[in-house]
Amino acid sequence: MKNQSIISIRHLRKEYPNVVPLEDVSAEIKRGEVISVIGPSGTGKSTLLRCINLLEAPTSGEIMVDGVCITDKKCKVNLVRRKMGMVFQSFYLFAHKTIIENIMMGQTDLLGRSRQEAYDRGMELLRTVGLSDKALAYPDELSGGQKQRAAIARTVAMEPEIILFDEPTSALDPTMVGEVLSVIRSLAGQGMTMLIVTHEMKFARDVSTRIFYMDQGELYEEGTPEQIFEHPQRERTRIFIRQLKVLHAERMSRDFDFPAFLTRLEEFGRKQQLSQRQIYAMQLVLEEVFLQKLLPAMEQAGKTDSGWDAALDVEYGEKEGYLQMRFSYGGPSYHPFLEEDDLSLRILTGITKGLEHRFLDGVNDLTVYI
Amino acid sequence: MKISKTENGSSLCLALEGRLDTNTAPELENTLKNSIDGITELTIDMQSLDYLSSAGLRVLLGAQKTMNKQGQMQVTHVNDTIMEIFEVTGFVDILTIK
Repeated sequence: MKNQSIISIRHLRKEYPNVVPLEDVSAEIKRGEVISVIGPSGTGKSTLLRCINLLEAPTSGEIMVDGVCITDKKCKVNLVRRKMGMVFQSFYLFAHKTIIENIMMGQTDLLGRSRQEAYDRGMELLRTVGLSDKALAYPDELSGGQKQRAAIARTVAMEPEIILFDEPTSALDPTMVGEVLSVIRSLAGQGMTMLIVTHEMKFARDVSTRIFYMDQGELYEEGTPEQIFEHPQRERTRIFIRQLKVLHAERMSRDFDFPAFLTRLEEFGRKQQLSQRQIYAMQLVLEEVFLQKLLPAMEQAGKTDSGWDAALDVEYGEKEGYLQMRFSYGGPSYHPFLEEDDLSLRILTGITKGLEHRFLDGVNDLTVYI
Repeated sequence: MKISKTENGSSLCLALEGRLDTNTAPELENTLKNSIDGITELTIDMQSLDYLSSAGLRVLLGAQKTMNKQGQMQVTHVNDTIMEIFEVTGFVDILTIK
C-alpha cells in the first residue's frame, strides 16, 4: 500500500478570465508522504490545493484520489472530501460555538458518531494539541496559534487519509508560528499523508519527504529537501533558493526606510531560525556601521550622488554555519573603524566574530562576520 | 521609544520602553537636559527596553558625567542582551547597574 499513489494529478489546468494560475501540473503523491509546496507568491500553490479538494473546479486535466477520478462529473464530491481534510490560513472556526463543539460537529453530522463518541475523540485530540483546557472557550477567546491548533484538531477528528494545509501559519503573529508547526510536525511523524503550502522554509526542509517547487503555474522542480535546497537544478529554483539565504538592500541613504528594513532583517532572521541574540547582533551591526559611520561620512563628503551609494547583503549559510553582513559603498577608500577607542567598534568587537575591509576597483567592501 | 518620568523631590526615575538607538537617543538626551537640574538621584529603568546601541550609550555616559557632579545615578532591570552590550563596552565599570 505504501508505494501506491493516493493522489495522481495529470495535466491539471486552471484558468480564470484574466489569469491562468495553473498551466499544466502533473504529480504523483504516495501514501505517507509529506510534501511541502513552495515557491514565489502567485504561482498557483494554493490553487493546486483548492483544486485537489475541488474547492475550485479544474478547467481541464484529471485528479485521481485513492483510485477514484474526482474530476469526473459523476464523482460524489462529498465522499471524496471525507478522505481529505483541509487546514486554512484563517482557521474558519464557527465563532458562536465552543472549541469542542466545533470539533464535534463534523463528527456527529458527517461521520455519524454519537455526541459522546465525538466528545471523547475531540477531547483526546485537544490534549494532543495542548488545548484541553480550552474545550469550552469560544474561538475569540483564543490566540491565533491556539485557533489554528484547534482547527487542526477538528480536521484530524474527521479521520482523513490526507490533510491539505494552505499556508497554515501565514496569518499568525511570529511568536505563534512555532506552536502550530510543532503540531503539524507531530502529525507528519504519525505517517499522515500531507500536502503543505508554506513559506516556512526551515520547517519545509525538516519535515518533508519531498518538496514541490512551483513557479509560473507549473510544478517547476521537485525533489528531496536536500536536492531542492542544496542542489536545485533549474534556473528559477536556484534564484528562489538563493534569495532565501540572502537579504539585499541597495541605494541606502538618509532617506532609506530604516525601520522597514529592521523589520525585514528580523523576518529574515526568524525565517532562518536564528537566535534572538543573532538577530539583535544584525540590527546592531546595521546601526553601528551604517547609521553611525557610513551615513555621516557620506554626508560629510557632501555627496549623495551615485558614487556614494551603499548596498548591503546579509547572507546566512545554514550548513556552513556562517552569518555575514557585507556593506559595499563607493567613494574613496574608507575604513570606518580605524580609531581604536570607538564605542561602535567596541560593540562590534564584542558581539561579532570580526570584520574585514577591502578596497577594490573603486568599491569599498566591509564584511562583518556574526 | 517611550519615556515615562516619575519625579519625587530631588529623585527622578526615567523608565524606557522600546529601542534606544540612533533615532531615539536625542529624545532621551532632551528629556534629561530638561529635567536633570537639582536632581541628586537619577534612576534609568530598563525593564521594558529591548534594544540599546552606541548612540544610547553616549547619552547614558553624558548623564553619568552630570550626575557624578551632583549626586548618584543607577541603571535598573537590565536584560541579558543589553547587559552584554554594557559588558563588551566596559560600561559595567562606568555605570551603577542594579
